[in-house]
Order: sequence, then structure tokens, then C-alpha cells
Amino acid sequence: MSEELFKILSNSNKDIDNQKLMDYISNKGNETDRFEIEANIADSDFLFDALEGLNTIKDSTKVAQLTDAINNDFKKQLIKKKGKRLKKSIMPETMIYFTIALILLLVIVGYILIRKHLGY
Amino acid sequence: MVSGKNVSHIEDKDLLERYYTDHNNEWLGILLPRYTMLLLGVCMKYLKNEEDAKDAVQQIFLKVMNELPKYRVDYFKSWVYMIAKNYCLMQIRSHNIKEVEINETIITVNDDPENEEKFLQKEVSLNELENAMKELSKEQNQCLTLFYLEKRSYRDITGITGFNLLQVKSFIQNGKRNLKQHLLKNDPSVLKNKIS
Repeated sequence: MSEELFKILSNSNKDIDNQKLMDYISNKGNETDRFEIEANIADSDFLFDALEGLNTIKDSTKVAQLTDAINNDFKKQLIKKKGKRLKKSIMPETMIYFTIALILLLVIVGYILIRKHLGY
Repeated sequence: MVSGKNVSHIEDKDLLERYYTDHNNEWLGILLPRYTMLLLGVCMKYLKNEEDAKDAVQQIFLKVMNELPKYRVDYFKSWVYMIAKNYCLMQIRSHNIKEVEINETIITVNDDPENEEKFLQKEVSLNELENAMKELSKEQNQCLTLFYLEKRSYRDITGITGFNLLQVKSFIQNGKRNLKQHLLKNDPSVLKNKIS
């Protein structure tokens, strides 16, 4: 009893596993997980708001679908951004090689023209 | 590189620290998906539409990516919640959605886990705790007792007391806070320690 009473003073504002959250909103979780989540609600407005919102989605499988869709889009966006950054960093290097090749080409063409002009 | 490694054990704080060290967005690629479901819930609460909520979470992710490099964030969870809530409130205001009651103001981060830590250092006797419980309002006492001592669920408590979910949450939340305040009030040394 006294142990339980002291639990009131503890701060349960820790990170909740997404799977536990899914189980909670689909009423699948066990009593311990349910208590863990609800103890967190009292310490976290974030969790309380989130659960209030998630409960408005009637089909709980839709929550997982929407979450996956958002994560996949975000992943794609990061890959795209990374590609752009990589392209940007490669660009100066390509320009240097291109300039060297152009100078070499000009030197060769100049050499050939001079030789021709001098009648060799 | 980050991808391909098992990173689930890395805490948010460490991920944030790594991000600030090398500004590699891949760290955010690990951090943000941890909050997708919670953010979706918050956006659903305010926007009341699945597609709008989905778009809002994507916009919040972008906002986080733009805002994070500008200043140092210590408590990511509180900060991202503030970003999400403010974004939703702005959306509601800009679309002038009349049917949603906006009685909430734009929020700022005020969570202070360190303060909580200080409180936990205090040694409280059972007697003190029982006395402090008596100082609470009837509703707060009832909800705390039902939840922590009788292990009832929020739903059960709504059934027993007739309060709605929001009220139950508030009574538990405020009850906990008042309980701590009562305990601190009766122990000036702790209060002094708390201030210093």
C-alpha cells in the first residue's frame, strides 16, 4: 500500500514505445502496459493530446498506416536532400577536371596549329 | 554513415547532440519517426481530419529541420510538442475554423526535468504523504486513490466518478502537483534546496 502511495510522487514522463501506444489505442495491451501509459498521461500533456487525437481515428489500423506513410515520405525526402547535397559537393570537383581537360585541349590544338603554320 | 546501423538504443538527447556536432540530417531521420504517432495524434486532436493531420505532421518535420540548426534544443520532446501544437493552432486560426473552440494560447516550453529530479531527492515519510493527501481536494484525492492505489484505468474512473476523461486527467495531474507542493511547503529545507 505504502509503496503504491509513493508512486504518486514519481514522474512517469518517459518515452513510450510506439507499439505499446498502438496496443493501448486498440485495447490490446496488458494491465501493466495500460497502467504505464496512463501514469504517463498525468505527466505529459503531449501524450494526453496525442491519445485524444488518435482515439478519434475509428479504425486503429489506419493509425499505423498513416504513421508508416509519413515516415516513408520523410525517408524519401531525406534521401532526396542528401542526393542534392552530394551533387553540390561533387560539382566543384567536376569543374576542376573539366577546366584542366579544356586547357589541355587548347594547348594541343594550339601546338598543332603552330606546327602547321610553321610548315612542319 | 548512420544508415544500416542499429540505432534504436540511442537516446533522443544523444541523437540531438550528434546532430549538433555534424549537422547530418540522418540523425533527425532516426529521431523524428519516434514521434510520428504522437504528433499524428496531436494534429488529429486539433485538425480533426486524417489527411490534414498527415500533412501537418510532414510540415512539422520540415519546420523541425529548419528550426533545429538555429538554436540549441535541450528537451526535444517538449520542444517538438510545442512546435506541433503551435502549428495546429496557427492552422486553425488561418482557416478560421469556427467549430473548433480555441481556448488555448500558443505555448512555450516549460518542462523542467531537473526540477523534478530535485524533488525526487527529497525523502518523504509515509506519514507526511498521507497528511498531504488529506490536503487535496476531494476530487483529486479520489482520482489519485483510484488510479494509483486501486489501479483503475482512466475509463473505469470516469465510470465510477462521473467525471469525463479530461477531468480525470486534470485531477490526477493537478493532484500530483499539489501533493508535491504541500510536501515542499511543510519542509522549508527542501524548498530552499529547490530554489538554490
